[in-house]
Amino acid sequence: MFIRSAVGALCAGLIASSAVAAERIEFMFPAPVQGKLSREMQKLVKEFNSSQDGVEVVGVFTGSYDDTKVKSQAAAEAGKPPAVVLMSANFATELAMNDLIVPMKELAGGTDLDGLMQEFWPAVRPNAYFNGDVYSIPFQNSTPILYYNKEHFAEAGITKAPETWAEWVDAAKKLTKPEGERWGIMMPSNYDYNGWLVQALTMANGGQFYNTVYPGEIFYDHASTQGALKFWRDFAHQHKAMPTGVTNSKQVSTSFFSGKASMIVLSTGALTFVRDNAKFDYDVAFMPRNIRNSVPIGGASLVSFKGTTDAQKKGAWEFISWLTSPEKIGHWSRFTGYFAPRQTAYDLPEMKKFTAEHPDALRAVEQLAYAGPWIATYNTVAVRKAVEDEMQALLSDPELTFREAATRAQKNADAVLAPYAEQTALTLK
Amino acid sequence: MKPDLKKWATPGALLAAAMCAVVFLWSTPFLWMLIASFRPDPGGGLGMASLVPDFVPTLQSYRYAIEDGYWPLWFLNSTILVTGTLVVQLVTISLAGYAFARITFPGKEAIFYIFLLQLMLAPPVLIVPNLTTLVHLGLYDSLIGVMAPYWGSAFGTFLMRQTFRTIPKDFEEAAIIDGASWWQVLRHVLIPLSLPGLTAFSIVSVVYHWNEFLWPLMVINDPDKMVLTVGLVSFAQGAEGASDWGLIAAGTLFIMAPLFIAFTAFQRQFVNSFMSSGVK
Repeated sequence: MFIRSAVGALCAGLIASSAVAAERIEFMFPAPVQGKLSREMQKLVKEFNSSQDGVEVVGVFTGSYDDTKVKSQAAAEAGKPPAVVLMSANFATELAMNDLIVPMKELAGGTDLDGLMQEFWPAVRPNAYFNGDVYSIPFQNSTPILYYNKEHFAEAGITKAPETWAEWVDAAKKLTKPEGERWGIMMPSNYDYNGWLVQALTMANGGQFYNTVYPGEIFYDHASTQGALKFWRDFAHQHKAMPTGVTNSKQVSTSFFSGKASMIVLSTGALTFVRDNAKFDYDVAFMPRNIRNSVPIGGASLVSFKGTTDAQKKGAWEFISWLTSPEKIGHWSRFTGYFAPRQTAYDLPEMKKFTAEHPDALRAVEQLAYAGPWIATYNTVAVRKAVEDEMQALLSDPELTFREAATRAQKNADAVLAPYAEQTALTLK
Repeated sequence: MKPDLKKWATPGALLAAAMCAVVFLWSTPFLWMLIASFRPDPGGGLGMASLVPDFVPTLQSYRYAIEDGYWPLWFLNSTILVTGTLVVQLVTISLAGYAFARITFPGKEAIFYIFLLQLMLAPPVLIVPNLTTLVHLGLYDSLIGVMAPYWGSAFGTFLMRQTFRTIPKDFEEAAIIDGASWWQVLRHVLIPLSLPGLTAFSIVSVVYHWNEFLWPLMVINDPDKMVLTVGLVSFAQGAEGASDWGLIAAGTLFIMAPLFIAFTAFQRQFVNSFMSSGVK
């Protein structure tokens, strides 16, 4: 049905081409956590537009994180590069590598970007850099965190949230009621969430997961990742404290709200959503550790596509600076539940008041001291999927061993990374 | 088996029971959506999955859906989109169908098969090339841009060719003897006899474009040109672990309402046209 129809040419004449002012720029953003937020985002855009005359930002809603990537890339290839896009934080490396987005120094003029990045939490910085240049400015970030039902804990005689993996297994077993009446622990294992949590468990197990300096290496068959795969798998098959098979994030939150799951792991970005929907006493705790406390960051950053005019670049920077100012980034954090990646936002009085009222929001921030960057390699999604497929297989098939799964994940990921490695680490430069 | 049960268990009754079971199965998603949209606590809870309305119905989800969406605008845009697509399609497929059915020209068969090959292409493959064309034509970010790639329809052309070929040539010859030109033949003889085919195609086209999500999402940037499907997702989708099912259900019911009402009202005509056009 899709025809590149010549009939379209007939119509070109019918459409008065809209006069586009040079400083009109497009800002593409996905629906974060809850849909009502896209309305709030449009409000912010309006506020910016009325605050000055030089730039007119058009807020463009672009669906999910993946749709946002597809749409902005397609628009750029078709010759309409968007000036500002809110992009999943770990896509920036790949976009920069493929020369699709521009380093922020091209937008920012004389601004000291390294100095600016110092105002952001150390954990969010690595994903913002590529080859020594800042390519993205963090806007809304999250880490995985443990939510637990305090009433179930009291009932099972558990006095505090688990801090180590051993305590975690113990608590999960105690909280589980047989025949699926209640699960001790649930974690989302759908794509994207799955890889993020395997990385979180690997980091808590002392691992690095991927080479944070060189994007052509991944450590799936290392002991730390193997241990993470085994640990997650055992919850389902050995301890019988988690449903087998693939569970998506919506099932996880729904089970938690209905009392069918006592502990869940979800993004801190879901804090406001949980706060609004949990009709019982709940709390949040750090992700338990085996070797160390450590989690990857998640969330989204602002990037700018290649091919915009100088005037658009200037406008884009003006908007990015405004949106990531401590005031606005703090406001967005309070509204959504994401933590504000800019540390200085927490020095503002509104933010101090908010964290005093909502100590769970503070917990998410405290965990940041132990956070690291999110997997970003050559062809990130395919590399991530290599381990996600194996983790899903492990959860579904009790016969599959974690060693076999790790070996296969490594093999498949290596095949994806091979072309990049051939051109870089295996070539004299 | 009891005797009176035997009396009831005739083949006809069994068939009816089986049909009822199938109908129930097929309408489950719709029933669930209807019930979910009236649920007072739509955020979560396993009760959400239940098909049994075990609550006092509330219009809260509908209220939120109305408050959150710019419905009149989205309905207008979707209506413009499906109408604009269909009107042009009806003209192009009638003409192309006529050419392939009646006119002899060199390479006709080959061209026809090349035309049909388009049906094999998965639309997402064409996103970037189509967008590039739209940008060159100045149609990016316009509703016309969403419609344009669909103005030539391989499926519609094929359908009309087949329909025209089932009409005996005698009718046309009679008209030609009376001095009708080819377009008068098409307009006054072939098209009136092909109405079932055109209706069947119209239904397929309208339903497809009314429900389409990815392509309008790619082409449209301006919030004033947003269509229903993209609009619904803009306030009802959650990226990180959250979904308001009641809101999604209410919004989806809004979107499907016009098509649902139209289909119920003209059910007999629609089904007849599918029967006689061979589209099922």
